[in-house]
Amino acid sequence: MHAFAYARPATLAEALTLLEKHGPDARLLAGGTDLIVGLRQGAIRPAILIDLKRVAELRHVIDEVDGRIAISATAVMAEIENDDRVGRHFPALVEAAHVVGSVQIRNRATLAGNICNGSPAADTAPPLLVYGAVVVVAGLKGTRRVPIDDFIVGSHQVALERGELVTAIELPLPDRRLGAAYLRLTRRHGTDLASITLCCAVDEAGTTRLAYGSVGPRALLFIDESGVLADPGAPAEAKEAILERVFAEARPSPRSIRASPEYRRAMLRVLGARALRSAIERLAGG
Amino acid sequence: MVDTLPIAVTVNGRRRTLEVAVHHTLLDVLRDQLGLTGTKECCVVGECGACTVLVDGSAVNSCLVLAVEADGAEVTTVEGLATDGRLSPLQNAFLEKGAAQCGFCIPGQLMAAQALLAQNPHPTLTDVHEGLAGNLCRCAGYQQITEAVMAAAEAAVR
Amino acid sequence: MNGDRVGASPHRVGGRERVTGQQQYVADIRLDDVLHVKLVTLDCARARIVSIDTTAAEQVPGVRLVMTAAGLPQPVPRFGPQFSDRPVLAVGETKYHGEPVAAVAAETKDAAEEGARLVRVDHDELPAVFTIAAALDPAAPLVQDPEIRPTDPRAGTNVLREHRFGWGDVDAAASSADVIVENTYQFPMVTHFAIEPHGFMVAPDGGGIACWSSIQHPYLLQKMLARILGLPLAKVRVFAPDPGGGFGGKQNPKLEPLLAFIALRTGRPVRLILTLDETFQSVRRTSAEIRVRTGFHADGTLAFQDIASDFLIGAYVDIADRVVSKGSYLAAGPYRVPAARIVARAILSHTTPATAFRGFGNPQVNWARESNIDEGARVLGIDHLEIRLRNLARHGEAFVPGDTPADGDWVQTVRKAAEMIGWRTPLAPGRGRGLAVGLKSGPTTGLSYSTVRLLADGSVLVYSGTSDMGQGARTIFAQIAAEELGVPLDRISVVSGDTSVVPYDQQTSASRSSVLMGTAVLFACRDIQEQVRAMAARLHGLDEANIVVERGMVRLPDRETPIVDVLRSGLGRLGGELIGNGTMRKEEDPGHPLGGTAAFFEFNCTASEVEVDEGTGEVTLVRHVTVGDVGRALNPLQVVGQDEGAAIMGLGHTLMEQIILDETGRIRNLGAIDYRIPTSKDLPLELRSASVENADGPGPYGVKGVSEGALLCVAPAVAAAVTEATGVVIRDLPLTPERVWRALAERPGPAEVSR
Ligand SMILES: Cc1cc2nc3c(=O)[nH]c(=O)nc-3n(C[C@H](O)[C@H](O)[C@H](O)COP(=O)(O)OP(=O)(O)OC[C@H]3O[C@@H](n4cnc5c(N)ncnc54)[C@H](O)[C@@H]3O)c2cc1C
Ligand code: FES
Ligand code: FES
Repeated sequence: MHAFAYARPATLAEALTLLEKHGPDARLLAGGTDLIVGLRQGAIRPAILIDLKRVAELRHVIDEVDGRIAISATAVMAEIENDDRVGRHFPALVEAAHVVGSVQIRNRATLAGNICNGSPAADTAPPLLVYGAVVVVAGLKGTRRVPIDDFIVGSHQVALERGELVTAIELPLPDRRLGAAYLRLTRRHGTDLASITLCCAVDEAGTTRLAYGSVGPRALLFIDESGVLADPGAPAEAKEAILERVFAEARPSPRSIRASPEYRRAMLRVLGARALRSAIERLAGG
Repeated sequence: MVDTLPIAVTVNGRRRTLEVAVHHTLLDVLRDQLGLTGTKECCVVGECGACTVLVDGSAVNSCLVLAVEADGAEVTTVEGLATDGRLSPLQNAFLEKGAAQCGFCIPGQLMAAQALLAQNPHPTLTDVHEGLAGNLCRCAGYQQITEAVMAAAEAAVR
Repeated sequence: MNGDRVGASPHRVGGRERVTGQQQYVADIRLDDVLHVKLVTLDCARARIVSIDTTAAEQVPGVRLVMTAAGLPQPVPRFGPQFSDRPVLAVGETKYHGEPVAAVAAETKDAAEEGARLVRVDHDELPAVFTIAAALDPAAPLVQDPEIRPTDPRAGTNVLREHRFGWGDVDAAASSADVIVENTYQFPMVTHFAIEPHGFMVAPDGGGIACWSSIQHPYLLQKMLARILGLPLAKVRVFAPDPGGGFGGKQNPKLEPLLAFIALRTGRPVRLILTLDETFQSVRRTSAEIRVRTGFHADGTLAFQDIASDFLIGAYVDIADRVVSKGSYLAAGPYRVPAARIVARAILSHTTPATAFRGFGNPQVNWARESNIDEGARVLGIDHLEIRLRNLARHGEAFVPGDTPADGDWVQTVRKAAEMIGWRTPLAPGRGRGLAVGLKSGPTTGLSYSTVRLLADGSVLVYSGTSDMGQGARTIFAQIAAEELGVPLDRISVVSGDTSVVPYDQQTSASRSSVLMGTAVLFACRDIQEQVRAMAARLHGLDEANIVVERGMVRLPDRETPIVDVLRSGLGRLGGELIGNGTMRKEEDPGHPLGGTAAFFEFNCTASEVEVDEGTGEVTLVRHVTVGDVGRALNPLQVVGQDEGAAIMGLGHTLMEQIILDETGRIRNLGAIDYRIPTSKDLPLELRSASVENADGPGPYGVKGVSEGALLCVAPAVAAAVTEATGVVIRDLPLTPERVWRALAERPGPAEVSR
């Protein structure tokens, strides 16, 4: 690893000032599970790392406020997995957090880092899309709330301006009963970056929200309000036709060594149908 | 120019203050500055788990943690498992079940297992497989390692 | 005390060190005043080195030397266990992705890395060959300089050697066969991925050098360094701490000569611990394409085997040509085969030098042969177990004319595996079972010396040059000494890993150590027993003929006493010790195609039950059984560790492992992120191993070699199970979900599937 400087701001204001000052020469450090790998591989050569873990305002918290769950930027996957409120309201996010790397990784990897890193394969992106998460972005000029669908831009691109950082990710508590499931495709049973990530939720009113990633520059969200997908009795062909349209947007990379585009497209259909089935079952099972 | 910072860490119960290069990982500092070579280096990208140590009780890949990030923390390495030369129940179980072959992955396996049992004293087989999934063993003594962890858990119950 | 002896499973020697972090691997050893070395490599496979600019690197504070080929003795020395073809640093051109072109030595790791980054190598990429087809193209660039083998008519091609074995008249047999099945099978490039990356240190030492290496063959390294440096053997001291996994990848010298030249130039100790990525660029298994044509009679008995294998070896030969010949020699398998024709070619390419890897060529060949036998069985409508039982050579039968006859009850092994998997029990829908056998010959030559010292207090030092890389060799030797001298294990130390102290051992490979070094240790103990006998005779005024010394006891005509008691009185007031020496030699046989007959065979039967997710192609191993004929399990727990470890490693190349190259020969999945090996979550839901023990091996107490057997035929067993579950036959490895899915997608309509 090359030599760089390190700053450990104690307050958000300090962090933002540093970020403003160093601009593109700075990198924010959360759990470091993406960042340190990038530094090792020489993919990035920042002059300074700004460690967010001791910023008072970002202390490890998962909080329920005003009908939403706010997950702070330093909250790690292990905390998300073990949080009752998240588990109760957003089980598919827990399922996704649970498959990120190993226990060791999940003890360090933050949810915010997973999203800010901008990997198309980020496991938590599909459930966050499905649950309509909002990203809380702070800058010296103030705070803004960005819907996750707008926040994720492309491969390793997110809607952060110079001098901005993410302080939290918020999940609105669902106002209807949901059944949700998260599925992924990997090369082995053990830890692996997924070749497909896919989350599906159906609600009582018949709306289906389906998001998938790792098959294009960013994870994509689709909302089906026709009621067909969510209907346990709808003919399989009708569902397939809709899923076909949903997955037509997939742009799997031909250069990937994890899976061919052909396989990925086919697996979208397989996993899509399975996730939908299990979401419907879960809704029915309460 | 290499930036250095002073840090204070408690390693295996002993408080240490030292000056570290900020781009050096906890793994580098444990091995090269503190001479604690029990923690192993293999992939340095978080995939193999050979470098697993406990930081404030939770298992982490020390190759992905900067030493400066551990400032103020309690770090436990494989050297800290035995007390006064007496092996811990987990270490004994590893010996008893023949879990250590070449042994290179074993410090990491032990630390991951230690964290697992601290959190979940009565794990199922699946729990153990999940808890150790981030620790590769190419000698592939997985079955013996799993048995050892289960045995240590049972011994603690008795 | 009994728990220490042969047949028991005492704690591993070195076990305590391994669970406390005290075990010192090369990287854990600190030398004072050491310089850190970093390699300079190019991000392409084959390139002409136009010039190397070291100026910027030399200006990095702390950099002491940038070594390039120009700084080495000229012509640049070359080495290798089979051909002296590998240069200390690339000369003029690189021949594979990652071949070092320079090395930077500096006061710190950081400085060495920074220096290496700043070495500018002006180079032109050159056309290169990475596949068998490309290498065989008459217009292909030559990988090896023809000067390396000037008298070889094939020197103008990329075929290094062609090996031919066989017996009987295949063509005649073909005309009488009822069914002939011919198929081609692929085996991928895979890498060892020992968790300990390779590490090396060299220090000037008096008039010579000391070298630390994670090597399996320290004495070979010593010989090679002595030759290259022009030093007497006595001035080259090799320390070989226990490797953190070897699997064959650490058998042969690699970067030690480079470090030696840097150490001699700088007059300082130097240290190079490879990264895992660099380790991937140092060793791999040979990939292979194997065409098998098998003739059967209607009753399932074999009529002939006609096997043509092409092995893609790397840019330097290392030991790969031996892998090809030895692996192919037994290609017809453990069967009665009336006629066999085996042709195997070692084909050079611009890829990572292939070397020994657990199984030594046999996994490739076993995969192809066993799969083809299954194809025949399907055509003939004969059960996969039955066809093997009908053809297996029986104990004592000469199944390869002129070689060691079948040295075990192989039918017993197969029956045991079949029973353990529940071969005849009904299968759940969507599942399938497969069963295969694997065979590998043990060492064909060998030379091991051991010295055992029985010290005055009855404790024991065993000197053995075997590398203990996890197989537990030292435990076995200690158990042998415990058994023979009647000393508890905690009073025995096994000394290894220092060529200046420990007598010569040819190598640690081919599952030889329990048999060959084990015998040397046994002989050394027997030598001591003889001395004790003489001592007892003297003490008691008896005739030696009336005294028996065995298993730790001295039996006098009227009573028996422990060896240690006789020792104490015998040594008297001055004390001292008894020194026993043992030699085990297996001579070369120049008339034999492999230079010697097999010391023993490793025979294994693997059976597997799988479930295939027909949607995704994912294969789940429901049950996996591996049974080896070990002769005698000297330490049953270690046998289980070896067998299960080998089985799981076999699952790696069967299900997920594969080195992927891009069009320019760069390894795309370099390192742990994209090269997948089995984790704890990839274990079969049920994994069981067992041993057949008939004490019919040539080693101490009837032991044969263990440790490779359980890997040999994992692939054909699992693939057969997948076929049974799905009806599709796959002839390429690994059986990744995508590959299985593809085969399922191409499967003819369900009506045509015969299950
Ligand atoms: C072995 C291994 C296995 C992995 N497996 C998976 C997997 O299965 N699935 C998966 O999705 N990922 C996986 N990852 C990737 C990684 O662990 C996750 O993406 C993780 O969530 C990143 O979080 P972090 O806190 O470690 O981020 P960091 O590495 O600290 O940061 C990642 C990026 O986000 C930026 N960033 C971090 N926090 C903020 C913030 N608050 N505001 C703005 N920018 C910020 C950083 O500057 C950096 O560019 C794996 C990584 C490793 C090493
Ligand atoms: S060395 Fe840290 S995970 Fe491999
Ligand atoms: S014991 Fe050798 S790698 Fe695990």
